[in-house]
This record gives sequence, C-alpha cells and structure tokens, in this order.
Amino acid sequence: MSTERRLDGAQQRAEAPASPAPERTDVGLQIEHVSKDLGGRTIVDDMQLEVKAGELTCLLGPSGCGKTTTLRMIGGFLIPDRGRVLIGGNDVTKMSPDKRPTAMVFQNYALWPHMTVFKNVAFGLRLRKLPRQEVSDRVAQVLELVGLTHHVHSYPARISGGEQQRVALARALVLEPKVLLLDEPLSNLDAKLRVRVREDIREIQQRIGITTVFVTHDQDEALSISDRIAVMSGGNVEQYADARSLYREPETTFVASFVGAMNSYEATVVPGGLELPGKLVVPCDDLSATGDGTFEAGVRPEDVHVSLNGDGAPADVVREVPRGHYKEIVLNAGPNEVRAFVSADLPPAEHVRISFTRALLYRDGVLQRSSAPVSV
Amino acid sequence: MSVSFALARSAGRRVLWFLFVGSLIVFMIGPIVWLGLRAFSGLWLYPQLLPKQWTVNGWRQVFNDPNLSHSMKLSFEFAPVVTVASAAICLPAAYAFSRYKFPGRRFLLISLFAVNAFPKIGLYISMAGVFYSLNLMATFLGVVIVQLIGTIVFMTWIPAAAFSAIPRSLEEAARDVGAGPLRVFFRVTFPLAAPAIFVAMILSFLASFDEAQGTFLVGVPKYITMPTEMYTLVLNYPEQVAAVFALLLAVPSVLLMALVRKHVMGGKLAEGFQLR
Amino acid sequence: MRRRELREGAQGLLMVLPPVAVIAVFIGFPVVAAIAYTLGRAGGPNSVVASLGQRQFIVQHGVTLDAYRDVLGNKTIHRDLWATVWVTVLATLVVVVVSWAIALYLRLADTRLARIVSGLSVVPLFIPVVIASYAMLVFYSSDGFMRSVAYHLGWHSFPTLGFTLWCVFLAEVWVNIPFGVLMMSSGLNGVPNNLIEAARDSGASMPRVVRSILLPMNVIPTVIVATFTAIYVLGSFTVPYLTGPTAPNLLGPSMSNFFSAFNQPQQAEVLAIVVFVLALGIGAVYVWANVRTGKRSAVAP
Ligand SMILES: Nc1ncnc2c1ncn2[C@@H]1O[C@H](COP(=O)(O)OP(=O)(O)OP(=O)(O)O)[C@@H](O)[C@H]1O
Ligand SMILES: [Mg+2]
Repeated sequence: MSTERRLDGAQQRAEAPASPAPERTDVGLQIEHVSKDLGGRTIVDDMQLEVKAGELTCLLGPSGCGKTTTLRMIGGFLIPDRGRVLIGGNDVTKMSPDKRPTAMVFQNYALWPHMTVFKNVAFGLRLRKLPRQEVSDRVAQVLELVGLTHHVHSYPARISGGEQQRVALARALVLEPKVLLLDEPLSNLDAKLRVRVREDIREIQQRIGITTVFVTHDQDEALSISDRIAVMSGGNVEQYADARSLYREPETTFVASFVGAMNSYEATVVPGGLELPGKLVVPCDDLSATGDGTFEAGVRPEDVHVSLNGDGAPADVVREVPRGHYKEIVLNAGPNEVRAFVSADLPPAEHVRISFTRALLYRDGVLQRSSAPVSV
Repeated sequence: MSVSFALARSAGRRVLWFLFVGSLIVFMIGPIVWLGLRAFSGLWLYPQLLPKQWTVNGWRQVFNDPNLSHSMKLSFEFAPVVTVASAAICLPAAYAFSRYKFPGRRFLLISLFAVNAFPKIGLYISMAGVFYSLNLMATFLGVVIVQLIGTIVFMTWIPAAAFSAIPRSLEEAARDVGAGPLRVFFRVTFPLAAPAIFVAMILSFLASFDEAQGTFLVGVPKYITMPTEMYTLVLNYPEQVAAVFALLLAVPSVLLMALVRKHVMGGKLAEGFQLR
Repeated sequence: MRRRELREGAQGLLMVLPPVAVIAVFIGFPVVAAIAYTLGRAGGPNSVVASLGQRQFIVQHGVTLDAYRDVLGNKTIHRDLWATVWVTVLATLVVVVVSWAIALYLRLADTRLARIVSGLSVVPLFIPVVIASYAMLVFYSSDGFMRSVAYHLGWHSFPTLGFTLWCVFLAEVWVNIPFGVLMMSSGLNGVPNNLIEAARDSGASMPRVVRSILLPMNVIPTVIVATFTAIYVLGSFTVPYLTGPTAPNLLGPSMSNFFSAFNQPQQAEVLAIVVFVLALGIGAVYVWANVRTGKRSAVAP
C-alpha cells in the first residue's frame, strides 16, 4: 500500500545513520543456536541472532513464527531447550527473569491495576531497597523521559491507552536494564497514535542508547524504527539486515514477499533481459545473477519502467489505482500479471511498454548473486 | 499457559510440601472413604484398619424399613418442587437486579445477604409463630416454604452475576434485527446464562434435599425427610445402618454436582458472590 | 427518555418483588418479631411461643433487657460464647489459609498433582452437611481412622477427637474448604499471567509476587471467603450438634437446647440475636470491601 513511503524512510536512514550515541562495537545480546519445543512442536529452531549494544532490532514475521517465544526466552520467562542466551557476553540462559538485566514491555502493558502509575513504576526500585527520595526522583525522571508528567497518582484503569503504554515503558526503563524487550507494544493503539508512539520509542531508545528487541508483525513499524530487522519464519531467522538491504536485496523469496510488494515469475536469462512465461522477453538493466536454466525472478513494482511508446515488452493496462503522489497500475504482459508504481503524471493508456530496471533472481528460494556485487 | 515456577527447591521443603499435600488428601477424603467402609462392615474392632467381616446387612435393613424408604420418597418429592418454585420467583428478580436500575437495588441485593446471616435455629423458632397463624404447620406447603427460603440468596445472586456478564450489545444486536424483548431473552440471554442458572438450580435442589432442622420443625410428624431421619438414625440405630443411609443420601448430591462440576470449578459459583 | 426510565424502574421493582416478599414475610417479619420478643413483648406473632415458654421476661409497655441480662449473665453461655468465637476464628483462619494455599498451588504450578488436590478439596460440596458431620465424627471417634492409624504407628494414646470442639472445628473447616478454594481459584485465575511476569521482570521473587501482586489483587475473594465462613460457622447447628460435646458447645446447639430441652424460647432467641449481630458486623466488612474496590477499578468515563 505504502511501499514508496516505506522505501523513502528506509533510504533516509541508510543515508544518514541517525544514531547520535557513540558507535559501540561491543555486543549487547547474543542468541546462540537456541531451540525451544512447546506442546510437542519445535517453535524456535536453532536460532542465531546478535544485537549490538545500543542497537534496536526488530523481530518481524508472520503470526505464529515464534517471535514471542524468542522474546520470552531472552526475558527469562522460558528456558531454551538447547543453545545459549548471552547479555553483554555473560551467559544468562538459565537465569530467572528477576535476576536478568532485561525489562519487558508487554503487549497489553500488564500494569498492576491495584497500584497507581507512580507505584507501578516505583515497584522495581522499591524491591531494590533504594532510599525513598531516590525512588521518587528516578520515577519522576523516567516519567518525564516518556513524556508523562500528570496522572502520576491515578490508577491505570483511569488513564488512556497511549498513557498506559508510556507507563509500561517507564516501568521497564526505570530499572536501567541492559536489554529492553517490547512485544508488539503498539498493537492496542489507534493508527495515528501508533505512528507517534513508535517514533517516541525510537527517540528515547536512541537517547539512552539501550539495546532493544522489538517484536512486531507490522513491516511498516519494523522498517521505520529499527537499526536492523530479523525476519523470522518457522522459528528461524530468514534474514537479518538493515531496512534498506532487506528491502532492496531480500535473501529469500519468503523475505521478498513478506517485506513490501514483489512481482515474481519463472524466468530465464536471455541477452538483454528476462524471458517470462509466454515467451515474453522483458528488457532488464540490472540482474542479480546470470546463468542457464530457470530462476524465480522478483521485481519490485517501483523497478518496473512503464512507457507509452519506445522499446520494451508490450503490456495491457488492467487497472489503475491512484495512491496520491504516485499510482499503482496492474498490467497483463502475456500471461503474466505485473504491478508497477508509476508517476501520477503518467497519462492513462490501454497499451504500454514495460521494462525492468532491476530484477532479483532466486533459485530454490535463495537469492543468486553474480560474482560482481549488484549495483544499486 | 501457566506461570510455572519451582515451588519447593530444597529437599527439606519438598518433604514438608508432600506432607502437607498428603495430609490434606487424607483430611479431605479420608472421612468419606472410612464411612463407605463402615457401610459394608460386619465385625470391625479398633484398631484394625479394615473390617474383619464384610456384609450388606445394613443395606437390607435400610431398604426394608418402611420409615426410611418413605423418607427417601418424600425427599425426592420436596426437592424438585422447591427448586422449580425458587427458580420461578428468583430468576426474574435476578434479571431485574442485573439489568434494571431502580431505587433500592443495592439495598435489596445486600439485604438478601443480611437475612442469610440470621442463625437458622433462631429463625425457625420465631417463624413457628407465623406458620401457626397461617396454618402452615405440618403441611406440604409449609415445608416447601421453609426449604425455599434457604435457596433464595444463591438462586438470585448466581444468575444475576451471569446476566451481568452478558454484554448488553448482544441483546441490542438481537433487538436490532427485529426480535421482541421476550424472544431476545429466550434466544440470546437465557442460553448464555444457562450454565449459571443450572448451577443455581442444582445447588437449590441440594439445599432443599439436605435441609433438616426447618423441615423437622414445620413438617413433623407428617413430613420426615431423609436428612431429618438422619438425626434420629445417628442417635438410635447401629452405626452401620447410619453409614448406609448417609451414603444413600449422598448419592443424588454426588450425581447432580458431577453434572455441573465443570461450571462450578470454572467460577460460575464464585462469580455470584461479588457484589456489583 | 425520563418516562422510559420510570417504567424500567417500576418493572424492575415488580420483578424483584416475589423473592423480596417471601423473605419479608417469612424471614424479615419473624426476625422483627423475635427482636420484639427478646425485648419482652409477647403479643402478636409471639403469643403462641410465649404461651408455652418458661422463665420469660415479659412487659406490657416499653421494653426490657432482662432476657439479655439473664442469658448473658449465665456462666454456661459464657463458655458457649467463647467456644463459638474460638471455633469461628480458628476455622475461618484455617479455611482462608488452606484455600489460599491450594488455589495458589493450582495457579502457579498447574500440574496433575495440583489439579488432583484442588479436585479433592471441593469434594465436600458434593456431600450433605449431615453426612459430612457424621463422617467426620466416625473418622475421629475412639475407634476411628485417626486413632487406628496412630495405634499402628505406635502412638497408643492418640486422643479421641469425636464429640470435642476439635472435631467441630475440623468438620467446619472440611465443610467450608470447597467454597474457599472455588472463590480463591476464581480470583487468582482472574490475575493475568503477564502481571505476574511483569513483576518477575522487575526483580520480584516468587514470594514477593504473591505478596505484592496476587495478595492485593485477591482481596475481595479473600474477604468473601472469610466473612461467609465466619457467618456460616457462627450460625451453624448441624455440625456442632452432631460432632460436638454436650457442653460447652457452639451457640447453635445451645439455642436449640434452650428451645426444646429447657423450653426457654426467649433465651434461645436472645442467643439468635447475639449471633445475628456478630454476623452483621462481619457482613459489613464484606459489603465495605466490595464497595471500596468497586470504586477503584471503575474505568475512566
Ligand atoms: N505453551 C505453548 N504450548 C504449545 N504451543 C505453544 C505454546 N506457546 C506458543 N505455542 C505455539 O508456538 C507458536 C509460536 O508462538 P509465538 O507466540 O512465539 O508466535 P508469534 O510469532 O509471537 O505470533 P503472533 O504474531 O501471533 O504473536 C504458535 O503456533 C503457538 O501456538
Ligand atoms: Mg506474539
């Protein structure tokens, strides 16, 4: 729907590394060959992941792929059957949640209803037997950090969803954990608030430079706030990369189809382009690989070049969908359906010519690369 | 999903824990099992852990005694009548308590509870005056009334909580598609509240089935039900016969409670006791 | 709009009328009559009882507290009153603690053993009180299970608990445990897992989670169990009558004794009122607790 916007965001981030915190090279969190069986099924399967200190990593994946399970193993609510979890280089695999330097923000916030906002945030500090004054200072500080200065003595049932979310965040941050864990923290907010709060979360995260794992199944969310994204499927990481590489060079067809829109075809490489089913040859400027035999070719809609005349393969316009500053058109090129994002200025037409500016070639679901790096 | 954590880590605490669980199990079901053994025992001398002889004499005696079997029959007559009567007068009230706003709602709901706090014996003594003047002594209706008043509280509270738990939007949606108020009640509200109503009815059946003192006071000498008979039995009959009779008296309770076990354990009973 | 509200109110009142009327006629009225009787008024509904009773304190005008003085000055009653208070307090405490333990066990360790334990603990709900009392009596009697087992374990002088206040206490606990376990379980199951996990995450140990999260969130069920158990034990008759000693016993049996054995209905009613006042005091706690938390958990308008 809004691939372009997503793309814009991703490009901005890649051009100007936004993190103002000094780049630290030490590792924040390591997940080494971790597996977990639940109810007789392997939910997380030999998973590996490394999050640098101060980095925000999103776990992105379809429902049931094991994101929450992974997060709960990092937080200590589940003990892995195999493998290790390390925080700052220390093995915490079997450590119980109360001993771990992690803090979790739960999906529905899990605020204790019998405690006021203040008491919710202060709870962990009180457990540590800090002096009264220090407790209230630190609570006030962290509440200000998350932008919640009134309602401090209200009960959670009496404040709005967005405010509850901030209290949950404050409660996690006040303990100054080494790793912050968030499980779909925005899913209970309305669309507008969701965008605002996720930006706030990102800003706070960067300000205090905390290592963060953020679970979501919303790719928009993942692409817009993470340093790196781990796309999960079937209990495993399919690809772990920053938003831009994930979008431009999805390593597997699963990632390609899960992140953003992608046209995909059975194709063979011919001189000057790709031959799609129906013996249709489409010119292509940039192929990720060459070779004999059929590939699975993936083409992003913005990599489809549409012109009214000129060269290229002939195609018929089936449908046009205005998207604001650009439009999406659906075409038939022989037996193949092609989706393209084009300028809103392109005049309507029935017959057009198409070519690809860039195509990714997959074999057995894995991206094939020629020896020379793909030019972007 | 459950939040499981090791409750007892050290061996010493584990032993203590198992002792606690073990004695709890003995405490809870030991008396019933022991009573069951009594019912079949011939000769049983202290301190043997099992009877020396087994027999069914006690059972024969109970079934051949006309008094005892007559009281069984009576018990099975009163309990259904009381249950139906109680449901008939209490269910509309339960619905009103949960759905309508009217003056004194809270007060009436709580005063139902207050009357429950008056000790039954004292109540029956002074109720006798009312029963005499209304000519209810030693009548079927009198016994029904005396058993009925013990069922009113939970026959109102438990279904009221169940009605309250049904979102109004479900009823409104049905009204929206053109169902009249009665149809909405019988097609939407009632089926959703049915498990709780069922629990309340079974509890009411059992309360009536087990009621002894009031029935004795009002019903004597015409209406002697099983639990009333039980008092005499405990004092006058051989232990074995009392044990048999006790087991017989427990059978309907066990069967009926087994029917609603799932709902009772699932919190239908518990919900009824939170005032709203 | 206004008219509709009025109509709804009227309809509501009409629907609650039948049970309220039954209660008013057969409980409310007798209770009021009983109060009048204990204050020396023997007219109206009390005339039948009063015409048969002995040792009554009757006045034609005004009221008298002589009946109360008579009963409360009686040494035997003192002992019964103390017995009642002690058994009530002890049984309530034990029921609350044990049902908390069982419910907590089930909540935190949902194992097969936990389910068996909680399943067994509701067994008494299936058993009529008369039988429960009888079974308890036989179990703890001089040739009962406890003494037989103790004998085999080499403890030949294990006390006979049957017909003592201990047996009353044990039987009251037995009878009230199911309600306790059901209430507590229902309350504890209402606490979502992630509230517990969030506390663990903040560094709370398991005992601390119980104290800071589960306990305060389960106040209402606890209050309900405590008040209902206490009120039940205070007014109970069957259990102490069948399992307890002749004297001192709980006030339930002594009420009955005053009425049928001594033919002193006025004294019996005085005892009933005393128990009623105690029970109302306990009931007030229940209502207060419900109202208090009802306010806090109300969602913002
Ligand atoms: N305790 C359990 N016993 C059995 N199966 C479980 C248990 N917990 C989770 N699962 C299963 O494991 C799978 C992965 O669960 P998980 O909660 O990690 O998914 P998720 O990626 O977070 O999905 P969602 O986006 O829907 O939250 C699901 O199929 C779920 O049914
Ligand atoms: Mg999840």
